[in-house]
Amino acid sequence: MPIPILQLRDTLIVTIQSELTDAELSQLRQDIAARIGKRAVRGLVIDVSALDVLDSFASRTLVGIAKVSKLRGAHSVIVGIQPDVAYAMVQLGLTLEGTDTALDLDEGMELLEQRKQARRGS
Amino acid sequence: MRPFTPPDPKGMRDYFDVYERHEPQMNEHLMAVCSRIPSLAQVIKAMPKEQLEAQRKAGLQTLRAGCVDGNWGPLLEQQKVQGAMYANMNIPFGDWYELISAFEKVMIPHLVTAYAKEPERLSRSLTALSDYIDQGMGFIAEEYLKVKERIINQQAEAIQELSTPVLQVGERLLLIPLIGVLDTHRARSLTESLLRAVRDYRAKVVVIDITGVAAVDSKVANHLFQTVSAAKLMGAQSIITGLSAEVANSLVVLGVDVNRLNAVGDLQGGLEEANRILAGRGANAHTDPPAP
Repeated sequence: MPIPILQLRDTLIVTIQSELTDAELSQLRQDIAARIGKRAVRGLVIDVSALDVLDSFASRTLVGIAKVSKLRGAHSVIVGIQPDVAYAMVQLGLTLEGTDTALDLDEGMELLEQRKQARRGS
Repeated sequence: MRPFTPPDPKGMRDYFDVYERHEPQMNEHLMAVCSRIPSLAQVIKAMPKEQLEAQRKAGLQTLRAGCVDGNWGPLLEQQKVQGAMYANMNIPFGDWYELISAFEKVMIPHLVTAYAKEPERLSRSLTALSDYIDQGMGFIAEEYLKVKERIINQQAEAIQELSTPVLQVGERLLLIPLIGVLDTHRARSLTESLLRAVRDYRAKVVVIDITGVAAVDSKVANHLFQTVSAAKLMGAQSIITGLSAEVANSLVVLGVDVNRLNAVGDLQGGLEEANRILAGRGANAHTDPPAP
């Protein structure tokens, strides 16, 4: 089942509801890349608050999605990493280098807003 | 601990006969010994005369129940209570041994005099007595250790709770003052309580003050990095304050990548920097945009 990608004005919102297989993750990356190009998307929020584990493939894919969307002109934020997940990730050396993270969807949207203003300002 | 095996009943009975005959002097002698051992002297001084007398009579009764009637239950129970009492009163276990050896020194000659003409009886009663003392001491020691262990565990828990306080010092701003040695166990609980607090208080900035941490080795530095990275995954930035000259030196000598830590000299500066970040214009705010 494809993961729903919602669009709110110029921002895409993806909520990962359950553990994903590697194939589903790769599919998600392609879907997002395609969607960003189609309409004027400036931001992307990926909510992982429902996950209680993020393995190396998943975090590499998330970093990949962030990079791809950057190249396609959208800034991305990963939100909702749970305390236990965060701790396990740093133990494994997975720090999502080069991506923005925020506490929850609300925070993520605010961060994107700040980025947008910064871009306009500069 | 192996279960209690009653000592030779005949030997015990012979021992008890002699003991009962000399009980008043024995008691006097032991009291004198007690008064020379500071910890025990204090206990005796604290008890009124009547209570001591009552305890002595009750003790004789329970001993009789064991030695004569073979009913050891009450005696074992009494020994357990004693062990727990000594632990709670902080009486060194060695003092108790001193008392027992004083008892043996007087008791054995009494037995020898009583059964001098019957070597077999003498040897049986001596063996039974030493068996009884060994097992009794075992019971007391076990209970003593149990209580001590419980006290130690309680204290460890208390220290654990004290060790990683997370304070909210402002809207979305947390402060963690670290004091003492940061070992693996503590570092883990630090990280866990920090992450939970970030979620609960919706914190954006965390100031970790390590003024009270005497030494930082590569392990501790690594723990700090992990904590900072984990907080960042949850969208919170960390500021480390209070790095002393020695700590800073050793970090550089260790070859730690200093850029990964957002370090500010003192706590005041750290809080100011935190407020700057919260206002959206932090100098080192790498996840925040430059001021528009």
